[in-house]
Amino acid sequence: MITVTGQCVAAFMFGSVVGLLVQRSRWCNTAALRDAMLFKTFRNAKALLVAMMILTLGFTAFISVGNGNPMRFDVGLNQFVGLFLFGIGMVLAGACTVSSWVKTGEGNIGALWALLFLIIGLFVSSLLWSYTYWPPAGSTMTGQPNLAGLQLGFADALTLQQKTGVPAIVFGIVQFAGLLFLYRAILKKEKARGGSDKPSGGC
Amino acid sequence: MDLLRKIRELDLFQRTLDPVIALSIIAMLDVFLFLIVGAWTVGGGETMIAGLVGKYVLGARTLARIPFWSLVFKPSWAYWKIYISLGMGFGAFVGAVLSREFYWRVPRHLSEWVMITIGGLLMGIGIRLSFVCNVSTFFGLTPEMNLGGYLAVSGIIAGAWVGTLIYKKVMEA
Repeated sequence: MITVTGQCVAAFMFGSVVGLLVQRSRWCNTAALRDAMLFKTFRNAKALLVAMMILTLGFTAFISVGNGNPMRFDVGLNQFVGLFLFGIGMVLAGACTVSSWVKTGEGNIGALWALLFLIIGLFVSSLLWSYTYWPPAGSTMTGQPNLAGLQLGFADALTLQQKTGVPAIVFGIVQFAGLLFLYRAILKKEKARGGSDKPSGGC
Repeated sequence: MDLLRKIRELDLFQRTLDPVIALSIIAMLDVFLFLIVGAWTVGGGETMIAGLVGKYVLGARTLARIPFWSLVFKPSWAYWKIYISLGMGFGAFVGAVLSREFYWRVPRHLSEWVMITIGGLLMGIGIRLSFVCNVSTFFGLTPEMNLGGYLAVSGIIAGAWVGTLIYKKVMEA
Protein backbone atom coordinates (compact mmCIF):
# COMPACT_ATOMS: atom_id res chain seq x y z
CA MET A 1 0.00 0.00 0.00
CA ILE A 2 1.47 3.33 -1.06
CA THR A 3 1.42 6.29 1.38
CA VAL A 4 -0.26 9.60 0.59
CA THR A 5 3.17 11.24 0.20
CA GLY A 6 4.23 8.38 -2.07
CA GLN A 7 1.11 8.91 -4.21
CA CYS A 8 1.85 12.62 -4.53
CA VAL A 9 5.52 12.02 -5.41
CA ALA A 10 4.62 9.34 -7.99
CA ALA A 11 1.98 11.67 -9.48
CA PHE A 12 4.45 14.57 -9.70
CA MET A 13 7.11 12.39 -11.34
CA PHE A 14 4.57 11.02 -13.82
CA GLY A 15 3.28 14.53 -14.57
CA SER A 16 6.82 15.86 -15.10
CA VAL A 17 7.64 13.16 -17.66
CA VAL A 18 4.28 13.74 -19.39
CA GLY A 19 4.90 17.51 -19.49
CA LEU A 20 8.37 17.03 -20.96
CA LEU A 21 7.26 14.50 -23.60
CA VAL A 22 4.18 16.48 -24.63
CA GLN A 23 6.26 19.66 -24.88
CA ARG A 24 8.90 17.97 -27.01
CA SER A 25 6.41 16.20 -29.28
CA ARG A 26 3.98 19.15 -29.66
CA TRP A 27 1.16 16.66 -29.11
CA CYS A 28 -2.24 18.13 -28.37
CA ASN A 29 -5.60 16.49 -27.72
CA THR A 30 -7.49 19.50 -29.07
CA ALA A 31 -5.50 19.34 -32.31
CA ALA A 32 -6.09 15.58 -32.51
CA LEU A 33 -9.85 16.17 -32.84
CA ARG A 34 -9.89 19.62 -34.47
CA ASP A 35 -7.29 18.88 -37.18
CA ALA A 36 -8.96 15.58 -38.06
CA MET A 37 -12.27 17.41 -38.55
CA LEU A 38 -11.08 20.73 -40.00
CA PHE A 39 -7.97 19.84 -42.02
CA LYS A 40 -8.25 16.03 -42.34
CA THR A 41 -4.75 15.69 -40.85
CA PHE A 42 -4.09 12.97 -38.28
CA ARG A 43 -0.64 13.50 -36.71
CA ASN A 44 -2.07 13.92 -33.20
CA ALA A 45 -5.03 11.56 -33.66
CA LYS A 46 -2.71 8.65 -34.60
CA ALA A 47 -0.68 9.09 -31.41
CA LEU A 48 -3.90 9.20 -29.37
CA LEU A 49 -5.10 5.94 -30.94
CA VAL A 50 -1.78 4.17 -30.31
CA ALA A 51 -1.85 5.26 -26.65
CA MET A 52 -5.44 4.03 -26.29
CA MET A 53 -4.49 0.65 -27.78
CA ILE A 54 -1.60 0.21 -25.30
CA LEU A 55 -3.78 1.35 -22.39
CA THR A 56 -6.70 -0.91 -23.33
CA LEU A 57 -4.49 -4.00 -23.36
CA GLY A 58 -2.56 -2.94 -20.23
CA PHE A 59 -5.58 -2.00 -18.12
CA THR A 60 -7.76 -4.98 -19.07
CA ALA A 61 -4.83 -7.41 -18.62
CA PHE A 62 -4.27 -6.22 -15.06
CA ILE A 63 -8.01 -6.06 -14.33
CA SER A 64 -8.23 -9.72 -15.46
CA VAL A 65 -5.82 -10.78 -12.71
CA GLY A 66 -7.38 -8.54 -10.07
CA ASN A 67 -4.80 -5.73 -10.12
CA GLY A 68 -4.98 -2.01 -10.81
CA ASN A 69 -7.21 0.82 -9.64
CA PRO A 70 -10.10 1.32 -12.11
CA MET A 71 -12.07 4.54 -11.70
CA ARG A 72 -15.27 3.89 -9.80
CA PHE A 73 -18.02 6.39 -10.37
CA ASP A 74 -21.54 6.36 -11.68
CA VAL A 75 -22.23 6.69 -15.37
CA GLY A 76 -24.83 9.19 -16.47
CA LEU A 77 -25.89 11.46 -19.31
CA ASN A 78 -23.96 14.18 -17.49
CA GLN A 79 -20.80 12.64 -18.98
CA PHE A 80 -22.09 13.27 -22.50
CA VAL A 81 -23.38 16.78 -21.79
CA GLY A 82 -20.31 17.78 -19.76
CA LEU A 83 -17.81 16.60 -22.36
CA PHE A 84 -19.91 18.21 -25.12
CA LEU A 85 -19.43 21.58 -23.41
CA PHE A 86 -15.80 20.71 -22.74
CA GLY A 87 -15.25 19.86 -26.44
CA ILE A 88 -16.60 23.26 -27.57
CA GLY A 89 -14.51 24.98 -24.90
CA MET A 90 -11.24 23.30 -25.77
CA VAL A 91 -11.52 24.20 -29.47
CA LEU A 92 -12.37 27.84 -28.64
CA ALA A 93 -9.57 28.08 -26.06
CA GLY A 94 -7.15 26.26 -28.39
CA ALA A 95 -6.04 24.05 -25.50
CA CYS A 96 -7.27 21.13 -23.44
CA THR A 97 -6.37 20.29 -19.84
CA VAL A 98 -2.97 18.89 -20.85
CA SER A 99 -1.91 21.54 -23.33
CA SER A 100 -3.02 24.41 -21.08
CA TRP A 101 -0.55 23.22 -18.39
CA VAL A 102 2.16 22.43 -20.96
CA LYS A 103 1.79 25.72 -22.81
CA THR A 104 1.74 27.62 -19.50
CA GLY A 105 5.07 25.92 -18.73
CA GLU A 106 6.37 27.26 -22.07
CA GLY A 107 5.43 30.83 -21.14
CA ASN A 108 2.07 31.08 -22.94
CA ILE A 109 -0.07 33.66 -21.14
CA GLY A 110 -3.17 32.72 -23.16
CA ALA A 111 -2.94 29.15 -21.81
CA LEU A 112 -2.57 30.45 -18.27
CA TRP A 113 -5.65 32.62 -18.86
CA ALA A 114 -7.58 29.53 -20.09
CA LEU A 115 -6.54 27.64 -16.93
CA LEU A 116 -7.63 30.53 -14.74
CA PHE A 117 -11.08 30.63 -16.34
CA LEU A 118 -11.34 26.85 -16.29
CA ILE A 119 -10.91 27.03 -12.51
CA ILE A 120 -13.42 29.91 -12.27
CA GLY A 121 -15.94 27.95 -14.38
CA LEU A 122 -15.41 24.89 -12.21
CA PHE A 123 -15.89 26.79 -8.99
CA VAL A 124 -18.92 28.82 -10.09
CA SER A 125 -20.71 25.72 -11.42
CA SER A 126 -19.91 23.86 -8.19
CA LEU A 127 -22.26 26.33 -6.46
CA LEU A 128 -25.17 24.83 -8.44
CA TRP A 129 -24.52 21.26 -7.27
CA SER A 130 -27.07 19.75 -5.00
CA TYR A 131 -27.38 16.34 -3.35
CA THR A 132 -31.04 16.08 -4.27
CA TYR A 133 -31.49 17.26 -7.87
CA TRP A 134 -29.80 16.74 -11.23
CA PRO A 135 -27.23 17.60 -12.63
CA PRO A 136 -26.00 14.94 -11.35
CA ALA A 137 -27.43 14.61 -7.88
CA GLY A 138 -25.47 12.66 -5.31
CA SER A 139 -28.65 10.92 -4.17
CA THR A 140 -29.25 9.45 -7.65
CA MET A 141 -25.72 8.04 -7.94
CA THR A 142 -26.21 4.63 -6.35
CA GLY A 143 -24.32 2.43 -8.81
CA GLN A 144 -27.64 1.17 -10.21
CA PRO A 145 -29.54 2.41 -13.28
CA ASN A 146 -31.86 5.28 -12.38
CA LEU A 147 -33.42 6.69 -15.52
CA ALA A 148 -35.40 9.36 -13.67
CA GLY A 149 -32.09 10.72 -12.42
CA LEU A 150 -30.47 10.24 -15.85
CA GLN A 151 -28.03 7.77 -14.31
CA LEU A 152 -27.07 4.47 -15.94
CA GLY A 153 -25.38 2.78 -13.00
CA PHE A 154 -21.88 1.43 -13.21
CA ALA A 155 -20.30 -0.64 -15.98
CA ASP A 156 -16.70 -1.28 -17.05
CA ALA A 157 -14.31 -4.11 -17.96
CA LEU A 158 -14.35 -5.33 -14.35
CA THR A 159 -18.15 -5.55 -14.14
CA LEU A 160 -18.19 -7.28 -17.56
CA GLN A 161 -15.74 -9.84 -16.21
CA GLN A 162 -17.76 -10.33 -13.02
CA LYS A 163 -21.09 -10.68 -14.82
CA THR A 164 -20.00 -12.91 -17.71
CA GLY A 165 -17.10 -14.83 -16.19
CA VAL A 166 -15.04 -13.96 -19.29
CA PRO A 167 -11.65 -12.36 -18.45
CA ALA A 168 -11.55 -8.58 -19.04
CA ILE A 169 -8.61 -8.98 -21.43
CA VAL A 170 -10.90 -10.71 -23.96
CA PHE A 171 -13.09 -7.58 -24.13
CA GLY A 172 -9.90 -5.53 -24.19
CA ILE A 173 -8.67 -7.39 -27.27
CA VAL A 174 -11.97 -6.64 -29.05
CA GLN A 175 -11.62 -2.93 -28.26
CA PHE A 176 -7.94 -3.05 -29.29
CA ALA A 177 -8.97 -4.53 -32.66
CA GLY A 178 -11.48 -1.70 -33.18
CA LEU A 179 -8.87 0.96 -32.44
CA LEU A 180 -6.34 -0.80 -34.67
CA PHE A 181 -8.88 -0.82 -37.50
CA LEU A 182 -9.29 2.96 -37.15
CA TYR A 183 -5.51 3.46 -37.02
CA ARG A 184 -4.95 1.39 -40.16
CA ALA A 185 -7.72 3.28 -41.96
CA ILE A 186 -5.89 6.55 -41.19
CA LEU A 187 -2.58 5.12 -42.43
CA LYS A 188 -4.28 4.02 -45.64
CA LYS A 189 -5.75 7.48 -46.12
CA GLU A 190 -2.36 9.09 -45.56
CA LYS A 191 -0.66 6.68 -47.96
CA ALA A 192 -3.23 7.49 -50.63
CA ARG A 193 -2.52 11.21 -50.07
CA GLY A 194 1.23 10.66 -50.21
CA GLY A 195 2.88 10.75 -46.75
CA SER A 196 2.11 11.44 -43.11
CA ASP A 197 1.30 14.82 -41.61
CA LYS A 198 3.77 17.34 -40.25
CA PRO A 199 3.19 19.23 -36.94
CA SER A 200 0.31 21.65 -37.40
CA GLY A 201 1.93 24.34 -35.27
CA GLY A 202 0.38 23.18 -32.02
CA CYS A 203 -3.13 23.80 -30.81
CA MET B 1 27.56 24.33 -17.29
CA ASP B 2 29.24 21.68 -19.39
CA LEU B 3 26.61 19.14 -18.31
CA LEU B 4 23.79 21.57 -19.18
CA ARG B 5 25.31 22.09 -22.64
CA LYS B 6 25.56 18.32 -23.14
CA ILE B 7 21.91 17.86 -22.10
CA ARG B 8 20.86 20.62 -24.51
CA GLU B 9 22.72 18.88 -27.31
CA LEU B 10 20.68 15.70 -26.84
CA ASP B 11 18.50 14.84 -29.81
CA LEU B 12 15.44 15.11 -27.56
CA PHE B 13 16.04 18.86 -27.15
CA GLN B 14 17.17 19.52 -30.71
CA ARG B 15 14.32 18.00 -32.68
CA THR B 16 10.57 17.51 -32.32
CA LEU B 17 9.78 14.07 -30.93
CA ASP B 18 7.40 11.82 -32.85
CA PRO B 19 4.08 12.06 -30.94
CA VAL B 20 3.45 8.32 -31.44
CA ILE B 21 6.69 7.59 -29.51
CA ALA B 22 5.88 10.20 -26.85
CA LEU B 23 2.33 8.95 -26.31
CA SER B 24 3.47 5.30 -26.29
CA ILE B 25 5.90 6.05 -23.44
CA ILE B 26 3.20 8.02 -21.60
CA ALA B 27 0.73 5.13 -22.05
CA MET B 28 3.19 2.63 -20.58
CA LEU B 29 3.83 4.90 -17.60
CA ASP B 30 0.07 5.39 -17.24
CA VAL B 31 -0.37 1.60 -16.91
CA PHE B 32 2.21 1.70 -14.11
CA LEU B 33 0.37 4.61 -12.45
CA PHE B 34 -2.91 2.65 -12.81
CA LEU B 35 -1.31 -0.18 -10.84
CA ILE B 36 -0.06 1.92 -7.95
CA VAL B 37 -2.67 4.65 -7.56
CA GLY B 38 -5.01 5.14 -10.55
CA ALA B 39 -5.03 6.15 -14.23
CA TRP B 40 -3.88 9.56 -15.49
CA THR B 41 -6.42 12.33 -15.04
CA VAL B 42 -6.22 16.11 -14.94
CA GLY B 43 -9.79 17.29 -14.21
CA GLY B 44 -9.74 15.84 -10.67
CA GLY B 45 -6.60 17.78 -9.80
CA GLU B 46 -8.04 20.95 -11.32
CA THR B 47 -11.26 20.51 -9.35
CA MET B 48 -9.23 20.21 -6.15
CA ILE B 49 -7.17 23.29 -7.10
CA ALA B 50 -10.46 25.20 -7.60
CA GLY B 51 -11.52 24.10 -4.10
CA LEU B 52 -8.21 25.12 -2.56
CA VAL B 53 -8.37 28.52 -4.28
CA GLY B 54 -11.97 28.89 -3.04
CA LYS B 55 -10.87 27.99 0.47
CA TYR B 56 -8.09 30.60 0.34
CA VAL B 57 -10.37 33.34 -1.03
CA LEU B 58 -13.58 32.63 0.90
CA GLY B 59 -12.23 30.95 4.00
CA ALA B 60 -12.70 27.34 5.18
CA ARG B 61 -15.98 28.02 7.02
CA THR B 62 -17.74 29.66 4.08
CA LEU B 63 -16.53 26.96 1.71
CA ALA B 64 -17.77 24.20 4.02
CA ARG B 65 -21.29 25.62 3.64
CA ILE B 66 -21.24 24.84 -0.09
CA PRO B 67 -22.50 21.22 -0.49
CA PHE B 68 -20.14 20.28 -3.33
CA TRP B 69 -17.05 21.18 -1.29
CA SER B 70 -18.28 19.51 1.90
CA LEU B 71 -19.77 16.32 0.39
CA VAL B 72 -17.92 15.59 -2.87
CA PHE B 73 -14.52 17.31 -2.86
CA LYS B 74 -13.14 18.33 0.52
CA PRO B 75 -10.21 20.62 -0.36
CA SER B 76 -6.89 19.03 0.60
CA TRP B 77 -3.30 19.43 -0.56
CA ALA B 78 -2.82 15.68 -0.01
CA TYR B 79 -4.81 14.82 -3.16
CA TRP B 80 -2.36 13.12 -5.57
CA LYS B 81 -4.04 14.29 -8.77
CA ILE B 82 -3.04 17.92 -8.10
CA TYR B 83 0.61 16.91 -8.47
CA ILE B 84 0.10 15.45 -11.94
CA SER B 85 -1.00 18.90 -13.14
CA LEU B 86 1.82 20.71 -11.35
CA GLY B 87 4.27 18.12 -12.68
CA MET B 88 3.07 18.68 -16.25
CA GLY B 89 3.71 22.42 -15.95
CA PHE B 90 7.14 21.75 -14.45
CA GLY B 91 8.13 19.12 -17.05
CA ALA B 92 7.04 21.40 -19.89
CA PHE B 93 9.01 24.30 -18.39
CA VAL B 94 12.16 22.14 -18.19
CA GLY B 95 11.62 20.88 -21.75
CA ALA B 96 11.04 24.40 -23.08
CA VAL B 97 14.10 25.86 -21.31
CA LEU B 98 16.43 23.03 -22.38
CA SER B 99 15.27 23.24 -25.99
CA ARG B 100 15.40 27.07 -25.91
CA GLU B 101 11.69 27.27 -26.66
CA PHE B 102 10.67 29.16 -23.53
CA TYR B 103 9.46 32.68 -24.26
CA TRP B 104 6.48 34.76 -23.23
CA ARG B 105 3.62 34.52 -25.69
CA VAL B 106 0.64 36.83 -25.31
CA PRO B 107 -2.55 36.66 -27.46
CA ARG B 108 -2.62 39.77 -29.65
CA HIS B 109 -6.27 40.19 -30.59
CA LEU B 110 -9.28 40.86 -28.41
CA SER B 111 -11.16 38.06 -30.21
CA GLU B 112 -8.50 35.56 -29.01
CA TRP B 113 -8.90 36.72 -25.39
CA VAL B 114 -12.68 36.39 -25.66
CA MET B 115 -12.50 32.90 -27.19
CA ILE B 116 -9.96 31.71 -24.59
CA THR B 117 -12.10 33.10 -21.75
CA ILE B 118 -15.32 31.48 -23.00
CA GLY B 119 -13.42 28.26 -23.82
CA GLY B 120 -11.87 28.10 -20.35
CA LEU B 121 -15.23 28.66 -18.66
CA LEU B 122 -16.91 25.96 -20.78
CA MET B 123 -14.12 23.48 -20.00
CA GLY B 124 -14.51 24.16 -16.27
CA ILE B 125 -18.30 23.80 -16.36
CA GLY B 126 -17.95 20.61 -18.43
CA ILE B 127 -15.50 19.02 -16.00
CA ARG B 128 -17.73 19.83 -13.02
CA LEU B 129 -20.84 18.50 -14.71
CA SER B 130 -19.33 15.23 -15.95
CA PHE B 131 -16.73 14.59 -13.21
CA VAL B 132 -14.26 13.77 -16.02
CA CYS B 133 -11.99 15.64 -18.43
CA ASN B 134 -10.53 14.82 -21.85
CA VAL B 135 -7.57 13.00 -20.26
CA SER B 136 -9.62 10.69 -18.07
CA THR B 137 -11.89 10.10 -21.07
CA PHE B 138 -9.15 8.97 -23.47
CA PHE B 139 -6.45 7.73 -21.06
CA GLY B 140 -8.53 6.25 -18.25
CA LEU B 141 -12.23 5.53 -18.69
CA THR B 142 -12.32 4.34 -22.31
CA PRO B 143 -9.31 1.98 -21.99
CA GLU B 144 -10.97 0.64 -18.79
CA MET B 145 -14.04 0.08 -21.01
CA ASN B 146 -16.17 2.20 -18.69
CA LEU B 147 -19.56 3.06 -20.18
CA GLY B 148 -18.99 6.66 -19.03
CA GLY B 149 -15.90 6.75 -21.26
CA TYR B 150 -17.93 5.96 -24.39
CA LEU B 151 -20.51 8.62 -23.48
CA ALA B 152 -17.71 11.10 -22.82
CA VAL B 153 -15.95 10.30 -26.14
CA SER B 154 -19.25 10.82 -28.00
CA GLY B 155 -19.77 14.10 -26.15
CA ILE B 156 -16.27 15.48 -26.74
CA ILE B 157 -16.32 14.59 -30.46
CA ALA B 158 -19.72 16.26 -30.90
CA GLY B 159 -18.52 19.27 -28.88
CA ALA B 160 -15.26 19.56 -30.81
CA TRP B 161 -17.26 19.47 -34.06
CA VAL B 162 -19.56 22.30 -32.90
CA GLY B 163 -16.52 24.17 -31.54
CA THR B 164 -14.78 23.79 -34.90
CA LEU B 165 -17.80 25.28 -36.70
CA ILE B 166 -17.81 28.26 -34.30
CA TYR B 167 -14.02 28.62 -34.63
CA LYS B 168 -14.28 28.63 -38.44
CA LYS B 169 -17.03 31.29 -38.36
CA VAL B 170 -14.99 33.52 -36.04
CA MET B 171 -11.86 33.12 -38.18
CA GLU B 172 -13.79 33.96 -41.35
CA ALA B 173 -15.43 37.05 -39.81
